[in-house]
Parts: sequence; structure tokens; C-alpha cells
Amino acid sequence: MAANEKDENLRELFEKLFGADEAEEATEDIRKGEQILDEHGAPGPDSELIADVKAEISRALAERKSNAFRRAVYKVAAVAAAVIIATAISVKLSERGNGEAETVIGASIIPAAIWESEDIAVDDAELGTFVGEIEELEDDVLALELGENGGNGYEAIEELEVELEEIERVFWKG
Amino acid sequence: MAESDDLGQIIAGCKDGEPESFSKLIDIYSGRLYGYFYRLTSSKETSDDLLSELFVKLVEKIGRYRGGSFDGWLFKIASNIFHDYLRDKQRQKRLLDGRKEQLESEHGRRQEDDRADRLQMALWKLDEDTRELIMLRFYSQASFKEIAAMRSEPIGTTLSKVHRGLKKLRELME
Repeated sequence: MAANEKDENLRELFEKLFGADEAEEATEDIRKGEQILDEHGAPGPDSELIADVKAEISRALAERKSNAFRRAVYKVAAVAAAVIIATAISVKLSERGNGEAETVIGASIIPAAIWESEDIAVDDAELGTFVGEIEELEDDVLALELGENGGNGYEAIEELEVELEEIERVFWKG
Repeated sequence: MAESDDLGQIIAGCKDGEPESFSKLIDIYSGRLYGYFYRLTSSKETSDDLLSELFVKLVEKIGRYRGGSFDGWLFKIASNIFHDYLRDKQRQKRLLDGRKEQLESEHGRRQEDDRADRLQMALWKLDEDTRELIMLRFYSQASFKEIAAMRSEPIGTTLSKVHRGLKKLRELME
């Protein structure tokens, strides 16, 4: 092991810390100290260890290459999938644009049963109630017209108004 | 200059994921890095592990090298790995005390005259930070300016610590 050969003027460095004489002495201390280290080499690594390390690095590098390839394949596959999906959607849309009958789509808040019903008032309970109320009112109006309420027309009209207001309130309240 | 051009090509090859380039990099640096780990841990087994860990990490990190002193950059990673090792295992105190006691008792029992072990024991008598700094300076061959930047401390502090440490090391070895 060679002693430190860095291009560095030790004496100059030490002169900044100590005086010129002390710098000379300190430089000599460093040189002699490093000479001792140089003369007493540490054991080196076994050739087996070096072979093992090299083999391990080769394995790690191969694994990295394989992972990089896999990542590239996944990336290409993801891009290809996105292109296929986009193409399929655009083909579908262009087919629709070429005179195919549009499908009417109902609002999802209205139950499908109502759209498909023959008799809405029967199939929808709430609507049935309102229809019943309206029929009662129609009967009352008819009775008034026919004078069947005993001549007390004003009371009947007030009752009707109250009933209408009640129906309106319940209707908007849901 | 030709050497740094070669190193530049090797680094570029590593960035491209070439196993041959990593193999060359391992051949160039494994001795110094192993010495650095060994002097700091006093354990061949641990040094084996840390060296392997460093090179495997390098496969991931090499892309982040943006020029400048490669040695300094590499040894900064080595230093981080060493600190992670101490922190993660929560062995710092146990390791330092344990190894110190072990080395001192071996020294007392056998009076071993192995100069390499003498150096290791002398190193363990220095404080941890100084020991690491001296090893970083010696094995990374980085300039004091680079080491000070690596450790985020003023260059005067780095110079003083290394000077004091090497002076003490020389005294211990005499």
C-alpha cells in the first residue's frame, strides 16, 4: 500500500494552523505515521470472497436487467390496452352516428315500472292516492252543481279549498 | 491521467450495468476497502460481510455518482456502511470494549511479536473517531480537503486530529 500521494502541500496547510517551524515538524509526524501504516499492511480479501462478490453482482445486474425489461413490457402492454379501448369506443360511436336508432333512456329517479306500466295509477301507490283524491273532489264539485249538499254551498266550497291546499302541500312535500 | 481516464471508462461501464466493469472496479478497490474495514473491526468475517455489502450497494448507487473524487465518494459509502453496521447491530460499545480487552489480553498472554497485530493493538488505543479518520485518510488516499468535506468539518480540525493521532500511533509503536 503506497502512502498518501495526493497532490496536497501539507506544509502549507499546517503553516496556516501553526508557525513555520511547527508546520515542518507536523508534516514530518504525518509522513512517519503514514509510513508505519504503509509498512504494516492489513490482510487482504480472500480470492474466494472476491469471486463470490463478483458472482453476486452479476446476479444483481441480471436481475436489474430482467426487471427493467419486465417494466418496459408492462408499459407497452398498458399503452396497447389503452389504444385498443379508445379504438373500440370510437368505432362504437361512429357506428351509432351512421343512422342507428337512438335508444330512449329514462331518468333513473323514475322507477322503470312506471314507464312500462299500462295503468300508472294502479302500479304506483302514491299516484293512486292522488288520483283517488281528485276523483273525490270531482264528486264533490258534481254534488255542488247538482245541489246535493243541502244548499250549504259556501261551506262546501271552503271545504274544497282546504282539501285542495292539503293536497298541494302533501304533493310538493312528497 | 491515463489511469483516471481508465477509471472513468470503468465507472461509465458500471453505470451501463456491465459486469466486466464492476469486476475491474472490485479488483482496483477491494484491497483498500477491505483494509479499511479490517482495521476498524479487527475481524475478517465482518470485513468480508461489509465488503460484499458495499459492492452490492454500489450496483444501486453507481448511477448517483456525478463526478469528483471517486475514491472519496466510494469511501464515504464505506464509512456509512461501517457506521450503519455499528448502529444497526447496536454493538458499538460491546465491539470496541470487547475487541480492546481481547487484544490486550492476547498481547499480555502471548507477547505476540507480530508487527501487524501490534499495529492493530496500537490503533485500538486511539479514540474511535481518530482511528477512523486515520484509516479513512490512509486507505481512501483522499486529500485532507476532501476528507474535511466528507466529514463536514473544518480542514484545521481534520489536520489536527490526524496529526495528533499519527504522532500517538508512532509513540505506541516505538
